[in-house]
Amino acid sequence: MVRLRFVLIVLALLITLLPVYWMVNTSLKTQVEVFTSPPTLWPQNPTVQNYVGLFTRRHLGKYLLNSIVIVGSAVFFSLALGSLAAYALARFGKDLGQQKINFWVLAPRMIPPVALVVPLFLILHKLGLINKQLGLILVYTAFNLPFVAWMMRSFFQEIPIDLEEAAMVDGASRLRSFRDVVLPLASPGMAATAIFSLIITYNEFFFALILTSTPKAATLPVGTAALIGKTQTLYGEMAAAGVVAAVPLVIFALMVQRHLVRGLTMGAVK
Amino acid sequence: MRTKWLPWALIAPTALFALAMTVLPLGYSLLTSFEEFRLGLPPVFTGLQNYRNLWSDNNFHSSLATTLVFTVAATAIEFVLGLSLALLLKEEFPFHGVIRSSLIIPMVIAPVVVGIIWRLLYNADVGLFSFAVHALTGKNISVLSSTTLALPALILVDIWEWTPFMFLILLAGIQSLPLEPFEAARVDGASAWNIFVHLTLPMLRPVIVVAILIRALDAFTVFDQVFVLTQGGPGTATEVATLMIYKTAFRFSQFGYGAAMAVALLILVACFSAAVTRAFKGTV
Repeated sequence: MVRLRFVLIVLALLITLLPVYWMVNTSLKTQVEVFTSPPTLWPQNPTVQNYVGLFTRRHLGKYLLNSIVIVGSAVFFSLALGSLAAYALARFGKDLGQQKINFWVLAPRMIPPVALVVPLFLILHKLGLINKQLGLILVYTAFNLPFVAWMMRSFFQEIPIDLEEAAMVDGASRLRSFRDVVLPLASPGMAATAIFSLIITYNEFFFALILTSTPKAATLPVGTAALIGKTQTLYGEMAAAGVVAAVPLVIFALMVQRHLVRGLTMGAVK
Repeated sequence: MRTKWLPWALIAPTALFALAMTVLPLGYSLLTSFEEFRLGLPPVFTGLQNYRNLWSDNNFHSSLATTLVFTVAATAIEFVLGLSLALLLKEEFPFHGVIRSSLIIPMVIAPVVVGIIWRLLYNADVGLFSFAVHALTGKNISVLSSTTLALPALILVDIWEWTPFMFLILLAGIQSLPLEPFEAARVDGASAWNIFVHLTLPMLRPVIVVAILIRALDAFTVFDQVFVLTQGGPGTATEVATLMIYKTAFRFSQFGYGAAMAVALLILVACFSAAVTRAFKGTV
């Protein structure tokens, strides 16, 4: 029984990790070695030429920069606005008619992106925001907000209200007690929420594909997908682009593992 | 109450911004769906014409069927595999943390990159998957250009990517169950299978519902991996609904017709969510 369990776990690990390893393996091979049959299990003459080519010839640096600017701004704005809403939901939820508010905060998250993409494209087109960083920042901020509000709410609820009341009895205003008592206690949750919205936004492809197109504003996933058409059989470069796009996120995700379940279910399961 | 306005002031920016980017576009989408709308030309109101066309559009029906097959197959298999993994890994053992972390890697990789990974594996010339199939069966197959195998191949990719999601949520659910009922059942001599069917599954039901609902809704609007791997081909064998809407609106610039498809899809999704929520009312 113990042995069977061991075998099954090893099998699951193998199936999970082998495809990822294969991408890394391919990204380090020369074009000739990629096509050798049978395929080599590790690069015989490891090379970084695929990576160099991406940044010198394929604008990958520009796509990466766009991603950092767009994702960074969207996460910042949604966290700033969403945390305030979350605090109100956590502390005054009952006064506000909890059920109705829950619905209005959460409903936007339940709408499939495809239902919004045609009108958003037409609206941003009218405003001249197609293929602009600002257009995507607006869209991402709006889509992150319900998520941030919901997740931060569950973190604020875990902070005992007595602490705040004690500060207010001592003469602190509500704003001050929020800043000096609540925020420091909520900061680990805030960091986790920030990393979550970062993961979702950085990986987003559908809106980015439709609202941006050229290296001027397109994000890394769009740039990577565009590469597939251009590189044809340059599988090494394709793999290298995948590695560049994936690595930072895997590291971030492993950092917030403890909160992963809460984030994935928006607080429904802790 | 001095602070009565405060909660509203705190919520207002979020609520207004989120609504402006969702409810407003939704209304605009509904309006567009009653029009013949091409970029650069003034929109022409055509009433229900788009919806009438939709009703008799076989391509749209077949894309809905493809989406449904994809969603049901992927979600069901991911649930079974995820639950098995969760049961397998629910107790502490050596390297517990490292193994758990490794198992969740696929779902945090960008879907576009997942597409690349499987393009490399499925590729007929250099792919590891194709090589293994050739070694086992002696046949040279290119799964992504086969009308019968392309959809199962995409389902396999989804299973690889999202089983970790089911696993993680079900594991959290299992670990949060109270211990007493299980100890009592074991004292009474219940078999492991009986404990699983009569205790674990019923007690886990709320978590199962959340996990399946989230996963099914996301699978129903799958786009990224299909776009990267097959673009809906060969022919329309893997043309899921979202991809068809994308092509209609943004390749053939029929925005009105695309909007009508999106509205129809939204109604289907809403009905599905409402049905699931109602079926499990009181248990979640």
